[in-house]
Amino acid sequence: MYLKLDKITKRYENKTAVDGLSLDIPRGVIYGMIGPNGAGKTTTIRMIMNIIVPDSGTILFDGREVDGSFRDRVGYLPEERGLYKKMTLREVITYLADLKGYPSKKTAAAIDPWLERMNLAEYVDQKVEELSKGMAQKLQFVTTVLHEPDIIILDEIFSGLDPINIELIKNVLLDLKREGRTILFSTHVMEQAEKLCDHICMISQGQKVLDGTIGDVKAQFGRNTVQIGFEGDGKFIRDLPGVREMTEFNNYVEVRLEDGTKPDSILKAAVDKLTISRFEVMEPSLYDIFIDTAKIDLADLHAEVGGDHV
Amino acid sequence: MSKFLIIMKREYAQIVKKKSFLIMTLLTPVIMAGFMVLPALLANKDVDTTESVAIVDRSNQGVGAALAIALGEYTIGDSEIPTYSIDSIIDISPSDDTRFREVIDLLTGQIDAREVKYVLAIGPTPHLNDSSLLLITNSDDFRTIRRFEYELSQILSKERLESSQVNIPVDSVLALTHRISLTTKNTSGESIPFEIKFFTALIFVMLMYMVTIINGSGLMRSIIEEKSSRIVEVLVSSVTPFQLLAGKIIGGGAAALTQVGIWVVAGLVVSLFAGSGSLEIDPGLAQIVFNPVVVIFFVLFFVTGYLMFCTLFALVGSIVNSDKEAQNFVFPVIIWMLPALMTGMAVIRDPYATWVLILSYIPLCTPTMMFERVVFLAPSAMEYSLFSGIVGEAMLGLLGVIITSIGITWLSARVFRVGILMYGKRPTLPEILKWIKQG
Repeated sequence: MYLKLDKITKRYENKTAVDGLSLDIPRGVIYGMIGPNGAGKTTTIRMIMNIIVPDSGTILFDGREVDGSFRDRVGYLPEERGLYKKMTLREVITYLADLKGYPSKKTAAAIDPWLERMNLAEYVDQKVEELSKGMAQKLQFVTTVLHEPDIIILDEIFSGLDPINIELIKNVLLDLKREGRTILFSTHVMEQAEKLCDHICMISQGQKVLDGTIGDVKAQFGRNTVQIGFEGDGKFIRDLPGVREMTEFNNYVEVRLEDGTKPDSILKAAVDKLTISRFEVMEPSLYDIFIDTAKIDLADLHAEVGGDHV
Repeated sequence: MSKFLIIMKREYAQIVKKKSFLIMTLLTPVIMAGFMVLPALLANKDVDTTESVAIVDRSNQGVGAALAIALGEYTIGDSEIPTYSIDSIIDISPSDDTRFREVIDLLTGQIDAREVKYVLAIGPTPHLNDSSLLLITNSDDFRTIRRFEYELSQILSKERLESSQVNIPVDSVLALTHRISLTTKNTSGESIPFEIKFFTALIFVMLMYMVTIINGSGLMRSIIEEKSSRIVEVLVSSVTPFQLLAGKIIGGGAAALTQVGIWVVAGLVVSLFAGSGSLEIDPGLAQIVFNPVVVIFFVLFFVTGYLMFCTLFALVGSIVNSDKEAQNFVFPVIIWMLPALMTGMAVIRDPYATWVLILSYIPLCTPTMMFERVVFLAPSAMEYSLFSGIVGEAMLGLLGVIITSIGITWLSARVFRVGILMYGKRPTLPEILKWIKQG
């Protein structure tokens, strides 16, 4: 494994932020760490970055304990963003690349192409404080990846970006993966993870509840989810035999079935009472899987991530 | 290039590029020179317009008239213009108190109306009674007051001699009793006037104080900025907190040294001009500022003191979250430099007083207090030894400062490491102690 976390634990005064968490991150993949706010994602990342020290457990990078040389091989975008406001884009990028030990000639050559790619080329000699929040975020992303790190760690990379920029960053990440870099990112927005990741790991209350490739994870859960679009009162569906759980949305419901239940039986029962506009058997979404696995109180989760999910 | 150097370079450039740095660099010597030179210049400046004097004489012996003649001798500079014009001499009988009071009231009114500058009232028996002489004025020109005193003494001494039965020529008595002036020399045979020692020490200490506070609080603000802009998290993913702390302190120190260096070079240029005769430099002052012991210890105490206080400022910066919060912690840091500024007068009177010795060995006070003593004592020392006398004491003090600085750095690095990543609530003292233990 490229990056290996072995039973790391971090306790704060009144709670355990990360509880015996083990992760195996293979080289060259996009690895998503997902979980609601407060699940322990940022604490885990900070421990990988050696910013905070785990109470117990070990972290190995490339077979060795994380040390000084790791600092030069990693690109880190923290959840809390910030750059020197009074420096120009060029100065900030150069300074941070210098601190990574990246050759200054290479930095100078890479600045313009990167900024061009992020649609920031025209601001290169302006001060950071003149950028909008989204632009500053893209600039920070550039400073994270410009020094060609072997491993890129992004904490909540997409928060605060508009859909166009999310798409832009996604494409860059896919390119970086193609170049052979390993990308670890955390998000509480499951849809993004679903579209981008090779591997995922779900964390809840400091513990890993699930991990594997997206395909594996989904296969594990089988095609046991139906979405039914309808008009009328669909509450009775929840009480039908073979229904394990139901989530109501604006004009449709998502139903997870007990193993061995045929989707047809649900359709038959529904047709009698409702006007069906859509009926679809589908793979469960990561969100569903997460709910299922973590056994989190739905109300709590909705309060935290609901807005982003729909 | 090592990461420490990269950080240092940026800190240095950020400080030196600031307009405030340029302004401070230019303004400080001007202000310092102003403090040093202007009062002396102004105090030495003689009267340059004729000032009017009114004399009220109740002596009945012509003292007023004699004084008027004596004052008439004074001229402005080398010109023929008299310094004092006698507005009036009013003779009043010794017994006529009513008239005297009227006249005084009238003349006082004239002073307020700026028609007369000085009113000299001579009482009935001036040669017997010193308190019968009264000067009314709103001016504090000690030079003029001295002249009045001198001339009146001369006149009244003559009066006294003549009224006594001594059979010696009056003029020769006056010559024989001429006032002497005492010249002080120290054990090495030099004489540096008290004021020069005092003000030079004060100015050096002031310089340390200003440079340390300005750069130290700048360092503190820059740490708070890195903390509140969250960039610190990116930084500590690239460098160790210790590299960051050291780079910032040394970078700031290099900027401060640049500033002081500019001042020193400017000072040397000025003193070269002084050497060529176009500008007079006080020989006493030269004995202090060109004394090798003073110069060496200024640099040593300046640098170590600077590092010690900057580390403290960095410590504060890593604990607090905003400039406003930091204000509460600035005073406890700078308070250690204040004794030297406030007690200089007492220190020069007795540089070996017990409390002075105690203060100068408290490491946080040493750079200023001990240096003050170096200025007062070193130029008059007969010989210098590394292990005794003021040099020995200063070396011991320096050792204390260095050990303390290392201790504070060790402490700060531990607190800094945790503190810079703590946002929001300010940590309590027990929490900080825990960080230090965890290290």
